[in-house]
Amino acid sequence: MSGEPLLCVRSVSKTYRRERAAIGALRHVSLEVGEREFVRLSGPSGSGKTTLLNLIAGLDRPDKGEVVVAGTDIARLPINRASRYRAEQVGIIFQAYNLIPQLTALENVLLPMVALGRANRNRARELLDLVGLGDRSDHIPSQLSGGEQQRVAIARALANDPAIVLADEPTGNLDDQSAQIVMGLLTSAVRERGRTLLLVTHERSMAQAADRSFELRGGILRTRSA
Amino acid sequence: MMWVKLAFGGLGRRFVEAIAAAIILAVTSATVASSLMVVEGARRALSQTVHQDRPDIVQVKSRFNRALFETPRSGNLPPVTIPVYEPLIGLAELQAAAGSNLVVKRRSLFRNVVSGDSFLNIYIFGIDPDVERGVSSFSVARGRFLSNDDHAVAVVDQASARALGVDIGGAFPVRKADGEDMQLTVVGILDKLELRGAPPRSAEAPSLNPESTFVSSGAFVNVQTSEEIFGRPALTDALVVARSASDVPDLVTRLQEAFRLEPGIFVAERYSQYQRKVRDFILTLALFSAVSVVTVLLAGSFAASLLHDIYVDRRRQYATLIALGFSPAMGIAPAAAFGLVLGIAAAGVGGFVAGLLVPRSFALPSLMADLGPTEPTLDWLVAGSIVVIAIAAVVIGLVSTSLRLVRQPLATSLSEENS
Repeated sequence: MSGEPLLCVRSVSKTYRRERAAIGALRHVSLEVGEREFVRLSGPSGSGKTTLLNLIAGLDRPDKGEVVVAGTDIARLPINRASRYRAEQVGIIFQAYNLIPQLTALENVLLPMVALGRANRNRARELLDLVGLGDRSDHIPSQLSGGEQQRVAIARALANDPAIVLADEPTGNLDDQSAQIVMGLLTSAVRERGRTLLLVTHERSMAQAADRSFELRGGILRTRSA
Repeated sequence: MMWVKLAFGGLGRRFVEAIAAAIILAVTSATVASSLMVVEGARRALSQTVHQDRPDIVQVKSRFNRALFETPRSGNLPPVTIPVYEPLIGLAELQAAAGSNLVVKRRSLFRNVVSGDSFLNIYIFGIDPDVERGVSSFSVARGRFLSNDDHAVAVVDQASARALGVDIGGAFPVRKADGEDMQLTVVGILDKLELRGAPPRSAEAPSLNPESTFVSSGAFVNVQTSEEIFGRPALTDALVVARSASDVPDLVTRLQEAFRLEPGIFVAERYSQYQRKVRDFILTLALFSAVSVVTVLLAGSFAASLLHDIYVDRRRQYATLIALGFSPAMGIAPAAAFGLVLGIAAAGVGGFVAGLLVPRSFALPSLMADLGPTEPTLDWLVAGSIVVIAIAAVVIGLVSTSLRLVRQPLATSLSEENS
């Protein structure tokens, strides 16, 4: 990594309070990720991987520390600015897809563009072609398989050509064959566009593809060699 | 199209709950609208009472002497002087008792006027033209109305003009108290006439409104002319306009005290009846407001609860929109649009049903004995109220979901299981 990092997580801590117990999800986590970098994040369940992605996406706020993306501390952004930041800078791929069930695949891909007021149906079709679903654009999520739904989610994440793509166990709900297709599509699409990818996955095969790998255990981030 | 789908699509099994919420809101709206229509009808009836009955006016009138109405109908008999009321009211005593309240002086006469070769009964009213127009209404069709400076001048309505065979510029004779005739010149013809506190119509005479039991036709002169005809300064009747309706009881007491020794003078007021109507209105308002409030609290909260369930079910969807970059307001917009369309449609249906089913005339004798039958009215106030109630139910249903989306981390909303 050279020059100013695109993403800088500095000594971030996050604790969840459930009833009377305090669960430390992240403990003084620091991480720097540059442009075009592909970072893999792994770790056991409950280690804080999703929490870290949520903080970077502005979906949650840290208790301590700062999350700086392109020079802006997104932890301190007001709620409307945080939405704008997500629309412009971040593409999010959820483990549970989070597609809008009553919208077609094409409309789901269009959503982030609509949020920015730049709806472009041709671009949405191109993205669906990219993930191999050009002929399924009029299908609603319930008419698609899990793998196909996640491919729609990948197309949606790329809709506004974001600087960072955050993928939270995108293959967690898929069979091996679908998982391979989805991972291949995701990495190639992000690489081709020269975007930064932060991927949370248990897939060992992705370790070779990633530029760097990290492991979270008990809320503590460790570098992991390939 | 996408926004329509976001707002109304994908309800799934919650569709039944949405329909149930709409029906409950429609029934609530119909019940509330019906109640408010009755209240609004009662309010209008009361308002009409204030305008028509003028509870702020007290009438002072002399004895009504029926024996003097035996008038000759034909034959060559001399005209006789027959007052409607006996002229008993002393102006000085009246003004002293009225104090600073406005006194509307009147002299109501009844004259046999020679018309061709027969006699004609005509009511002649001596009035104070300027103040009388404030309590009674006159519509001048042709010519002009009276003024205080006039002398031997009359304004007649169309019925009396026809009976007398006179028009503007014409004259007719009236026998004065001293036995001489006075020629009254007609300067104006009235086409409408509503004399407040008019005397009872108990003799054959021209009439603008044949159905009326009160005098609705006559010749009007100013009080100076009527005093000349009468030959006495006493009044036959008068109206005293109180500065406010609440002053009426004190005013009545003072007037009764002033004429305590005159058994032929009566003081009449409508304030007491008006107060009874006000009490009826308050009872009507209380009853139907209670019906509305109970309906809104029970049925409205049930509808709000159903809507809440629908919104909770779709909370993750709204959170996804915000996570994808929509502002929180835009993320909640589909929920608000769904609720508003449902609520306003339900209010519209409810209002329409109420408009169809509520009777045109509503009477509840045990509650509205003095107010009488009212006309339930569906106006903008009623329509606005049911729309506001429907929207309030939607807002209450939506508030929890909105607060959660705005206050708690989006990550939490996104991780909630869809029910």
